[in-house]
Amino acid sequence: MNLTHIKNDITGETLYSGTHESGLKIYIMPRKGYKNGYAIFGTKYGSVDSCFVVPGEDNQTKVPDGIAHYLEHKMFDMPDGSNVFDSFSKYGANANAFTSFNMTAYLFSATDNFCENLKVLLDYVQKPYFTPESVQKEQGIIGQEIRMYDDNASWRVFFNLLGCLYQNNPVKKDIAGTIESISKIDSDLLYKCYNTFYNLSNMTLFVTGDFEPETILKTVEESIIKNEPFNEEIKRIYPDEPKQIASAYKEVSLCVAMPMFVIGFKDNAIGYDGEKLLKKIIETEIIIKMIFSKSSPLYEKLYNDGLITPNFGAEFSPQKDYAYTAIEGESKDPKKVYDIIIEYIDTLHKNGISRDDFIRAKKAVWGDYIRSYNDIEGFSHSFLTDSFLNINYFNYYDVYKNVNFDDAVKRFNEHFDKNYSALSVVNPVKN
Amino acid sequence: MKSIQINNNISLHYIEMKKLKTTVTGIYIRRKLDREEAAINAVLPYVLKSGCKKYPTVSEIGKYLQSLYGASLSGGVIKNGDNQVIFFDAETISDKYTPENEALSGEMIKLMMSVIFEPMVSDNAFIEETVEREKKTVINKIKAMINDKRTYAKNRCIEEMCEGDAFAISKYGTEEGVNSVTPKTLYEHYKKILTSSRIDIFVCGDADCERLTEEINKYLVGLNFTPYEKIDNTKLKYKDKINKVTDKMDVTQGKLAIGFVTDINAADKDYPALVVANGIYGSGTQSKLFNNVREKLSLAYYASSSINKYKGIITVNAGIEFENFQKAYDESILQLDNLKKGEISEDEFNFTINTIINALDTAYDDQRYMQLYSLDCLYLGTVPDLEGYKNKIKSVTKEDIVRAAAKIKEDTVYFLTKK
Repeated sequence: MNLTHIKNDITGETLYSGTHESGLKIYIMPRKGYKNGYAIFGTKYGSVDSCFVVPGEDNQTKVPDGIAHYLEHKMFDMPDGSNVFDSFSKYGANANAFTSFNMTAYLFSATDNFCENLKVLLDYVQKPYFTPESVQKEQGIIGQEIRMYDDNASWRVFFNLLGCLYQNNPVKKDIAGTIESISKIDSDLLYKCYNTFYNLSNMTLFVTGDFEPETILKTVEESIIKNEPFNEEIKRIYPDEPKQIASAYKEVSLCVAMPMFVIGFKDNAIGYDGEKLLKKIIETEIIIKMIFSKSSPLYEKLYNDGLITPNFGAEFSPQKDYAYTAIEGESKDPKKVYDIIIEYIDTLHKNGISRDDFIRAKKAVWGDYIRSYNDIEGFSHSFLTDSFLNINYFNYYDVYKNVNFDDAVKRFNEHFDKNYSALSVVNPVKN
Repeated sequence: MKSIQINNNISLHYIEMKKLKTTVTGIYIRRKLDREEAAINAVLPYVLKSGCKKYPTVSEIGKYLQSLYGASLSGGVIKNGDNQVIFFDAETISDKYTPENEALSGEMIKLMMSVIFEPMVSDNAFIEETVEREKKTVINKIKAMINDKRTYAKNRCIEEMCEGDAFAISKYGTEEGVNSVTPKTLYEHYKKILTSSRIDIFVCGDADCERLTEEINKYLVGLNFTPYEKIDNTKLKYKDKINKVTDKMDVTQGKLAIGFVTDINAADKDYPALVVANGIYGSGTQSKLFNNVREKLSLAYYASSSINKYKGIITVNAGIEFENFQKAYDESILQLDNLKKGEISEDEFNFTINTIINALDTAYDDQRYMQLYSLDCLYLGTVPDLEGYKNKIKSVTKEDIVRAAAKIKEDTVYFLTKK
């Protein structure tokens, strides 16, 4: 297969890409002088995908919550009873995997033996091996992972917010499922999900490091196991989600020192991906910096009044079918923080946002983008996440340069609407 | 690394790393970890980064940083063995990556020097409002240490192990200590330590050392520096009996922490062997703890061990069901005994060394990792030489590992359980 390449004059980087006959999309980004190489092999399949129609079938398939994550754990088992970590350790790589709402990814970083490690990665992800015993064994490990998150206040306060914002969308469910839901997972179900979502036409490989693209391509081509790409998309069935939030407030008590909160704004401008989505992302990130960063009057007021601590921040999480902004922090009085934020946003709706703030915040967003190149791991994750949204993160500047003040004004009015906001709080337990 | 002695107390270290698109500056003020001083040292960086002569408020600094394409400035304290280190960290993108080729790199050192050497002062004291606010910030940080149970259990175990040793002191000091800080005492303390402490300035990325030296010197005019106190790095000593501690909280998962004393720290000849021993025991997916406590017995999602390079302490940590305490403890000790007996397979040995080398090489792509590695070496009196250290790791033998492992002695068993 042939790769095409594009060069970015501002970042000085070059990206090679192509689609293999198996359907696998391949991206290679050489980074001169880097000691570490990094590869990430991902499928567009996450915790939200528990109802779908397999291409060629008519019926819907429903699977237990938490199965994408369970499958990720079980991919590490090899037919000979060994564990794929051993193969990576042999070549000195640091390997891992993760499952998010919308993707599952397998990855490694290595300073030596890069191609050997890449072969291991491509090999094990293409070779599922589950037995009833091995599937059963994982219940204990994942059970402890779920328990760990049960005690994790940041995690709980965040998921409670999603439960407030969403009535039906599965993004509100825990990625690992529940101890009850995972007890229904067996090897047949795992194979069913594997054969659907791990078809190479639903997967992408991103490789970066100091090497020649041809060498990597050769290794990839040799490692691909024959695959019939799907001729049609996998149909993912998500329940209808009304614009309205499910509830405006949720609180629980856990063993923490000070109340923790997350305030969310549900984004109802959804249903699209690609450059249009990237533009929305950049606009929203600029607005978030204008409203919530340390330079803002809002932050200054909250901080000087002792209502927030330095652990305060806001982030936009965009997908095609859902999106939200989450503002998190700690406070002795989260309800007051919520009220002040809503009041401040109301004032901005009345008086308008500042053009100077926009110019500064837009610069800061550019700095974030450039900085993201430093950490090859973080960059690879951003690239892969965006590629599943049909966004080319590499060409960010083409969209960035066209974001203007009026776009930001429009976006602010559209997204920061108190009617679609909610507050989630974790209070300290009373002794 | 190129080092320039600015004066008897202050050194500038430049590490060129142009392949990254940023330049990171770190300023480290070294103090002895001390019960009397810990809290006041902890408050200081938070007050200083709240405003300076050039940019008097948090908001002014924030606006300035945004205009430098979202440069960052942070500060706080870290605990490195017997040292409490007040640090400031700043990062900016390199000039050529701005859309208009603007000059940013010279600006960061000016901002940091202004934050440290030109604070907002009134009547020989810091601004009261700022000091009171930042005291609360530090107190919140002290209180927030219970939030993350995994780290909390590890810290509690170390605290119990180090009873009577300076290392038991929290990097933020105590709440009482913070409460007793006043704008005046803080300012006096600031003036004292500014000119009587060792200060290391690291710049990693793309910079001009001569220009940096020039800029730094501008802020030192009129200050009288006095020699700084030498700080010894002491290792934790062996005890006669094993200490058992249980804490109870409203939690759904139990956290096991086992503390071991090794009498080997990063300045010792046997340290590379201890690092490999720890790797085989519990650091990484090739380790005995991962493969037995997690994979074979399914007792935990995480079960691992780590070394404190200054104090020569190893801690094992695992999140488990409450009723599995004994099983997880027994298995952890059994695996250590196996290591001590020299039950080390070829694969375990080779894989662990490869994993460690891979992790060390990461420093070449990470400006902060490189700075902190170099700082540790300077504090421990060793030469920052990553290649030399890698060679030492590679030449560790099984005999070396068994010899180092023999020095790992159980000290404290800590369990965080439900009420």
